Amino acid sequence: MTWRGLMSRAGRGSGRARRIWLTIALPLILMLAAGLPLAFALRHVRQIPAGPVGVLIAAAAVAVVAMIFTLMLSQTLSAAVDALYERADLDLLFSSPLKPRRVLTVRFLAVSFTVFAFFGMILTPILLPVAAMGHPTWLAAILVLFCIALAASGVGLFLAAGLFRLIGPRRTRTVGQVLAAVIGAAFFLFGQARNILGGAKSATVYAAMARMVRNPHLAGLPGLTWPLRAMLGEPLPLLAALGLGGGIFLLANQILGARFAVDAAAAAGAGAGGGRRRAKAAGRVRFSANAFQATTVKELRLIARDPALVAQVLLRVLYMLPLGFLILRQAGQGQSLALPGSAAALSLVAGQVAGSLAWITISAEDAPDLLSCAPTPTRTLRRAKLAAALLPVALMLAPVIVPLTLFSPQVGLAAAAGCAASLAMAGMMNVWWQRPGKRADFRRRRSSSWLVAVAELLLGFLIAAATGLAAAGLLGWALIPAVLALVGTLMLSRSDEKIAQALRTAT
Amino acid sequence: MSLVTSALSIRGLSKTFGGKVAVDNLSLEVRAGELFALLGPNGAGKTTTLRMVAGLLKPNAGEISVFGHDVLKDPAAAKQVIAWAPDEPMLYDRLTPLEYLEFVAGLWGVEAKVAAPKAEELLRWLGLWDNRAERCEGFSRGMKQKTALAGALIHDPQLLILDEPLTGLDAAVARQVKDLLQARVKNGATVILTTHILEVAERMADRIGIIQHGRLVADGTLDELRARTGEGKATLEDLFLELTGSGEDAAPESATA
Repeated sequence: MTWRGLMSRAGRGSGRARRIWLTIALPLILMLAAGLPLAFALRHVRQIPAGPVGVLIAAAAVAVVAMIFTLMLSQTLSAAVDALYERADLDLLFSSPLKPRRVLTVRFLAVSFTVFAFFGMILTPILLPVAAMGHPTWLAAILVLFCIALAASGVGLFLAAGLFRLIGPRRTRTVGQVLAAVIGAAFFLFGQARNILGGAKSATVYAAMARMVRNPHLAGLPGLTWPLRAMLGEPLPLLAALGLGGGIFLLANQILGARFAVDAAAAAGAGAGGGRRRAKAAGRVRFSANAFQATTVKELRLIARDPALVAQVLLRVLYMLPLGFLILRQAGQGQSLALPGSAAALSLVAGQVAGSLAWITISAEDAPDLLSCAPTPTRTLRRAKLAAALLPVALMLAPVIVPLTLFSPQVGLAAAAGCAASLAMAGMMNVWWQRPGKRADFRRRRSSSWLVAVAELLLGFLIAAATGLAAAGLLGWALIPAVLALVGTLMLSRSDEKIAQALRTAT
Repeated sequence: MSLVTSALSIRGLSKTFGGKVAVDNLSLEVRAGELFALLGPNGAGKTTTLRMVAGLLKPNAGEISVFGHDVLKDPAAAKQVIAWAPDEPMLYDRLTPLEYLEFVAGLWGVEAKVAAPKAEELLRWLGLWDNRAERCEGFSRGMKQKTALAGALIHDPQLLILDEPLTGLDAAVARQVKDLLQARVKNGATVILTTHILEVAERMADRIGIIQHGRLVADGTLDELRARTGEGKATLEDLFLELTGSGEDAAPESATA
């Protein structure tokens, strides 16, 4: 997520080329360096070892393929849903003599290449030294990766079309984006099984998995070693992988191609006059002369009705879940040693979630003139927008912090103070460095600037360090990062006049 | 206590954008209770002038007063009595018309007991009551324009400023909007509008102002403008073309062939 965030941030503003170079080249060089010892270690390996070790390696390869497929699927599903709803050039393409199937094929080939490029960029530099030191056929792993991308595109397309049939055009977008987020986090949650289920239960799960790997029947399971063999460049498994990936992709295009234009038209209809959405909350409209209340309610409604934003927040909440379970379990069992670290991590994640929401509520405004010509002071509007961004985060944190304070008051209070500081820092940063724009444009604009994004992360780490030290009872030491965070935050502050000036320049 | 008869008073107003003069020492008076049409060719400075009146732009020089409130020194008081409706409706796609009115009423501090019946009245009048619980994202341009207009009227503004209110509307909706504006004027409100549809200005406006290169070329009733140009039976279009000099160039042959 950080990588993706940095990539999108790197692509804006001045010094773009240098930043892209730094963002891409640096990790590439690091991975290339990581590939060298691997190549050295594997230089004499000629075949998959026999016995349980071989089974374990083959099973691990299957798991890696499954993990990459799942991660890719989360992106292709999201892309498939977007392709149906985001008009862009679709109307032009469908009005041209091109067949809808061809439009779909081209669009999804592009999606496949995009997801492939992301993982390929990680895999290739590691693989290159290995290939150079005696294993040129292992470069086939890159081809396997592309097959996985093709298969993920096909399945993503099937899923989107299935959702479309099952729940209709109005709900598909929301459910699709939330599903994509959940799928994306699935492996993370699986990896965090120990934190979520607790030691005993997760130990049982891992034991079952270990037993499964040692099971002699598994060794004889047809196809278990095929993904690994395909990656190592054996012709038949590689052909099978190409056939499977390409087959799923072509099948999806063949079956869904003709329906794609119809579904896209229906999706457009759901957002246009044809199928008007009735808002569930419409019955609960409460007029009030209070501008703060009216603005907060408006922002909360807009957040709740933004499926992409809900999916993004949900994803971050999913990442917070294991941490919450871990903290409460440790607190309940009186394991005080790891608690400060967990409290620190909680404040860091809370700041990140708050930053995402504050960025949207403060900077994304579809009717800026309406607010400017209203008699309400700008400060009131800003506070209301901040309240709308921070309130959901505070509500998400409460179920962790309140019981934590009961179990361990010192850690609970430190976590509460750390989270409050993180929230305040993220909120202020987004007020000071706001960059107004239409809400619809905000999916590709994740932060105000690269500099602010990095500053926000660094300040978040400082606050987290202060939280951890305070939770551990080292209040004196906690003051150092706390003061540094405060100074850093103040250094980035901007007066109302400067904000207004920057906004005038921006518009 | 003096009775305020001037709804809008502009004195020596100027605005430049990076050296380009948009409004040049403009002075204008709009009387309370009249419908004033501000006309001018594209880029003449109409919208810039109105945006400064609405408090959306700061002028480089000049004074603007709305019902005695100085827009620059006491913007909150001036904004309280103004409503601004630009050509592109200022809406939130994911809100319903009723929620939008709830938000706008809150911004202007309209009490709930006043705002709720007012919202119903406006939505019924504009034929949007049955759509009150539908999100604006599915609305046609006309419905969006009407929703924005309802938002502009929810706080009962004394001065209603509309920039091209009839752009993109079909005949029925345009008629509805025109009726509504005339009803507002009849009830004592002041309306300033810009339009490229000169027939609308000719039929509806009590007085007309013509602006070009950021300067007021002429203002007055239609008869006063005719008297000024010495063309007794001229249409507003004739007067407009003569005063702005826009009709002097003949269409190229390639365009008429």
